[in-house]
Amino acid sequence: MFCEKAVELIRELHRMSDGQLPAFNEDGLRQVLQEMEALYEQNQSDVNEAKAAGRSELIPSIKLRHCCLLRNQRCITAYLYDRLLRIRALRWEYGSVLPANVRFHMNAEELQWFGQYKKSLACFMRSLGAGEGLDITQDMKPPKSLYIEVRCLKDHGEFEIDDGTVILLKKNSQHFLPRWKCEQLIRQGVLEHVVS
Amino acid sequence: MSDSLSDDGSINQDDSQEDVMTPAELIAKLEEAWLNEKFSPELLENKSEVVECVMEQLTHMENNLQRVKKGDAKASVHRMEIDRIRFVLSSYLRSRLQKIEKFFPHVLEKEKSRGEGDPSLLSPEEFAFAKEYYANTETYLKAVALKRMPPNLQTVDLLKAVPEPCLDSFVFLRVKERQENILVEPETDDQREYVVDLEEGSQHLIRYRTIAPLVSSGAVQLI
Amino acid sequence: MFIADIRKDFYEVVANQRVALLVASDIDALCACKILQALFHCDQIQYTLVPVKGWQDLGTAFLEHKEQFRYFVLINCGANVDLLEMLQPDDDSIFFICDTHRPVDVVNVYNDTQIKLLIKQDDDLGVPSYDDIFRDDDEEGDDSGNESDEGSEPSGKRRRFDEGAVERRIERQRARREWEGRRREILFDYEQYEYHGTSAAMMFFELAWVLTKDTKDMLWWAIIGLTDQWVHDKITHMKYVTDIATMQRHVSRHNHRNEDEENSLSIDCMRISFEYDLRLTLYQHWSLYESICNSCYTSCSFKLWTLNGQKKLQEFLADMGLPLKQVRQKFNSMDMSIKENLRDVIEESSNKYGMKDIRIQTFGVHFGFKNRFLASDMVHAAAALLESTEKDESDGDNFIKALDALSRSNLERLHSGIDLAKKKLMAVQQTVASCICTNLILSQGPFLYCYLMEGTPDVKLFSKPMALTLLCKYLLKAFVHSTRNKRCKLLPLIMAAPKDVDKGTVIVVGIPPESETSDKKNFFGRAFEKAAESTSSRTLHDHFDTSVIELKSEDRSKFLDALITLLS
Repeated sequence: MFCEKAVELIRELHRMSDGQLPAFNEDGLRQVLQEMEALYEQNQSDVNEAKAAGRSELIPSIKLRHCCLLRNQRCITAYLYDRLLRIRALRWEYGSVLPANVRFHMNAEELQWFGQYKKSLACFMRSLGAGEGLDITQDMKPPKSLYIEVRCLKDHGEFEIDDGTVILLKKNSQHFLPRWKCEQLIRQGVLEHVVS
Repeated sequence: MSDSLSDDGSINQDDSQEDVMTPAELIAKLEEAWLNEKFSPELLENKSEVVECVMEQLTHMENNLQRVKKGDAKASVHRMEIDRIRFVLSSYLRSRLQKIEKFFPHVLEKEKSRGEGDPSLLSPEEFAFAKEYYANTETYLKAVALKRMPPNLQTVDLLKAVPEPCLDSFVFLRVKERQENILVEPETDDQREYVVDLEEGSQHLIRYRTIAPLVSSGAVQLI
Repeated sequence: MFIADIRKDFYEVVANQRVALLVASDIDALCACKILQALFHCDQIQYTLVPVKGWQDLGTAFLEHKEQFRYFVLINCGANVDLLEMLQPDDDSIFFICDTHRPVDVVNVYNDTQIKLLIKQDDDLGVPSYDDIFRDDDEEGDDSGNESDEGSEPSGKRRRFDEGAVERRIERQRARREWEGRRREILFDYEQYEYHGTSAAMMFFELAWVLTKDTKDMLWWAIIGLTDQWVHDKITHMKYVTDIATMQRHVSRHNHRNEDEENSLSIDCMRISFEYDLRLTLYQHWSLYESICNSCYTSCSFKLWTLNGQKKLQEFLADMGLPLKQVRQKFNSMDMSIKENLRDVIEESSNKYGMKDIRIQTFGVHFGFKNRFLASDMVHAAAALLESTEKDESDGDNFIKALDALSRSNLERLHSGIDLAKKKLMAVQQTVASCICTNLILSQGPFLYCYLMEGTPDVKLFSKPMALTLLCKYLLKAFVHSTRNKRCKLLPLIMAAPKDVDKGTVIVVGIPPESETSDKKNFFGRAFEKAAESTSSRTLHDHFDTSVIELKSEDRSKFLDALITLLS
């Protein structure tokens, strides 16, 4: 049946309801586009035939194919747009450098979109408060205390905090540090917030 | 609060000749704007004067903190306060940005079609961001799929494709200024309108659509 | 030097600084660490916590952090060696040492710039006086002065001077040799025996109390720290009872705090209570029967590794009127009527069977309806987690897990610790039983010796110092109860078990003889050192307890022979 491939694309994303980004289904997209091309060509010839030979009994199938074309277009745009939304969420979760395994699942144009989005966001944040700038990707949670206890989950080497002091982040060491300095590393999975 | 740190009582001089606000009033305004934006289904008017003033205030507080002796107990309390204000501000701006991205074609359309004297929905920076977002997304869709589609299907009307904010969703609000004759339900078949009076200080759960103008005017506060 | 005022000379010094905490791997250290962390959180003192399990770790940790930190706090490590000599720090590094290991190295005692001991000066120390071990070298200068004078023009007057000078010099040298001889003796006596002082957790609790920042959680951790010293036999019974009394005063004070309030405390709040409870390990989280079988005290008193012992146990249970079915159930599922007077009933019957000390003074905690724990439960659970030999777990991971188990919010972790502890205790009992029954404990003359061969069930568990030491103590107690040889009952015990099969090393532990009035002083530290030296055995004295070493398996026999000669 027509449009099945398109719906399958949607289903693929629907299955990953937790916001994960699966690999870009280049094959699937191509197949849908091919189907669209085939449908369009058939319609073109039918329309010509209907006009020329007055075969109005072709009109229902023309209409059907047209509906399928529209549906395919809608499905494709939905698939692509939903992926963009997931990619957008990645900027807010991981920061401006995406982990390699995520990048692997993105096609070239998505990477470009991401790059452009990053730039727009950075530009916006810089311009806040009449040029003062504010990084609104920080402070994602309401601050409960100034300092928090964090545990180092993997070796991360040296890490600088405000006044030039340096901490050595070694696996299994624990530290009591200013909260805002740790947020980024907690999101990246290097540190873990310890709640006693 | 911040009063004890700032040397001079009030520091805010708006560009538009509004009355000078104390820091406490400024933060209260920020919190109001934050809550309204958080709970409203659509993007509200931008409050960039508040944003700018708050940022100035934060800088001022940071500078004051530098001068405080290390280890003074007051310092940590004030630092917490700075962190809290910064959180509220960031959350406010994030809320707005999320809505701009979610409803981008509608937001841009609304901004384009507003009247001369009407207050703008987007700050200049937000407007630039929204336009870039629109262009970026459109370019992307074209490059990956649309240009490979049959000739008559190579455009998508984003205004139709992207859902509009649902103004009929329900919101909680608290009444700040008494209102009369607020329409709760639209006219039913028997032509009876259901209206209520909103008493000051009372709280209600009501459809957003009818009270939207009251939010902009500040007569009610979303909670 | 000893710190006089822990608040002024320690806490206020680090108040606005960043501190590196180097914590040893024993439960008392973990408890002390938690108390200190809680205080630091309160006052926003930034710190970095690094677990260390031996001298090498300590050295590495110091090197890694010396650029970033000026203040180091060492918990349960560092007191019993010349720390400055070992670490070679810069002049501005300051070390605060809270360590139960005794004797405290004399250099640490008398250094007054970089070493600050968070130890009470009267904590059973017996430090030699300064003049007995340190001597200014002024006399040396005089001597050489005179000698150089001798070289120049001799004259009659000079010659007379010389005679006097030579006599004085000879006298000085003799006095010096005498002093040095006395010094060697004093130092030998001082450093001969290794033992333990007041719990580090209790020290930090006292700090919290002085700052009026002590909470019930901190009190509970201090109690666990003290109990760890008792469970692992580090302190004498007298000291334990004295320290319990100190803790009891704090517990009363905390419990009275809420008595005046109109509303009584919610059931979820933490309550610590003094308990005169049974010496049956983990009995409230096990079945009574299993606990009796696997607790050292009861197992040794009944001699449960013999058939006769098993029969006596059945008699004992029958004597108390406890049906087997009940006693084999999970403790919580036992009939209420049995649980009600259980302690008194057991005490009465135990007296008949020669177990006069079946009850011991301790503390328990409860919060919420389900959560009741005795201090010893916590110690066993945390120790099992700390030395867990599950695959893929590094020592650092284990440290973190054990530390977490001590927080009230990590009950799951605590329960998994209790399960591990049960397994460990059963392994200990089985190993003890098999060692006694197969006569694996041999008398070598001045000491008893037992070697666990590779392939012994659960031998991996005993490649860890605390577990092996526990096994060693239980084994010695069991041996004393089972042997008829009066002389052997008074001997100390050395145990060896495989540590690293690939590297071919064994871990060796020595414990003092078993006695009711034992002062728990252990001379094996020095003995091991000397024996290793004299036979050039390849040993690693990495553990903070000097009586625990690692040895190449091939050198075992010559090492033992040297020990026998040394101690005969």
